[in-house]
Amino acid sequence: MLELSLTIALIIMALSILVCFIRVVKGPTMSDRVVALDTVGITLIGIIGIVMIIQNTLAYADVILVIAILAFIGSVALAKFIEGGVVFDRDHN
Amino acid sequence: MAFQILLNIGLAIIWMLLRQDFSPVEFLIGYVVGLVLLYVLRRFLQFDFYFRRVIAIVKLIFLFLWELILANIDVIKIVLSPKLDIKPGIIAVPTKLKTDWEVTLLASLISLTPGTLSMNFSDDGKTIFVHSIDVPDKEAMIKQIHNSFEKAIMEVTQ
Amino acid sequence: MTEIIISILILLGGFLSLLGAIGIVRFPDVYGRLHAATKSATLGVISIMLAVFLYFQFIEGVFSGKVLLTIVFVFLTAPVAGFMIARSAYNVGVELSDKSVQDDLKKAINKKGKKARS
Repeated sequence: MLELSLTIALIIMALSILVCFIRVVKGPTMSDRVVALDTVGITLIGIIGIVMIIQNTLAYADVILVIAILAFIGSVALAKFIEGGVVFDRDHN
Repeated sequence: MAFQILLNIGLAIIWMLLRQDFSPVEFLIGYVVGLVLLYVLRRFLQFDFYFRRVIAIVKLIFLFLWELILANIDVIKIVLSPKLDIKPGIIAVPTKLKTDWEVTLLASLISLTPGTLSMNFSDDGKTIFVHSIDVPDKEAMIKQIHNSFEKAIMEVTQ
Repeated sequence: MTEIIISILILLGGFLSLLGAIGIVRFPDVYGRLHAATKSATLGVISIMLAVFLYFQFIEGVFSGKVLLTIVFVFLTAPVAGFMIARSAYNVGVELSDKSVQDDLKKAINKKGKKARS
């Protein structure tokens, strides 16, 4: 029961990453691509979670945290970049 | 508020010392006993019982989860419908909340319920611009946000 | 019993992730896609991580704080990331789809611009 559902979920999530990449390639604007890449990052967290159960190890817990942080920082940095061309705004006016 | 929590933790530690048992379970029992003591003595100690706020926070969390489930079903219906029959739009939602973090909390909660997404604030922080996936009735939506989330947040902070 | 709950949570997570991906492809503009991305996908991942936590807690008997921390972190950052992307897209001038019926933000920005000029 559990193993079957794990396999099904793994296949579904791999498919959804593939579908996201359609938008990354097609996306008419830069923002579309950022949204799709953000979703790829988030779905990746889920995949590693499932792999954790399959391999029965807690070693990937750190990996998940790092990917979550990187996806968030990456999205925010790209959003700021397409808005103004600068990632850090130094002068507050 | 902070003083009361400190008092409560202090009571729990005293309870632990009296029982000669330093396990988390004992601490929890001590905390509950202190809570009951504070509730009984709230008249004499001249302060507002702080646990009312904790109850309000729990209520807010459950309200949020309920809305999350309801709205997710809505979005699933939209995504899976064969013809994408939607009327998206940006709505200005005025808010009565004052401090910055209350407005931030409201915006985050709006973002996390499917179907609405906060996009921008006005300069004075009194209006949140919300993008909604389907706007059949603008006034009804604003009223719904006011009645559910804003009221619950106000209950927590006041 | 526990296994059934975990299986349901995992399948639900996979289903929601797929819905998010379909939404990203199907919705007509960036803002609609953000709805699918920041919510369906996030909720799916949260339910999967909940399943992971339950698995290690009740079947393996190990308490994993890091997994809980991941749930909190994803919950906190998803709305912020969505908000940042939506705001930057609007400021750059990505247009709403033709189906849109309301645009209060445009009115507000126009009013502000007029006030600044006069």
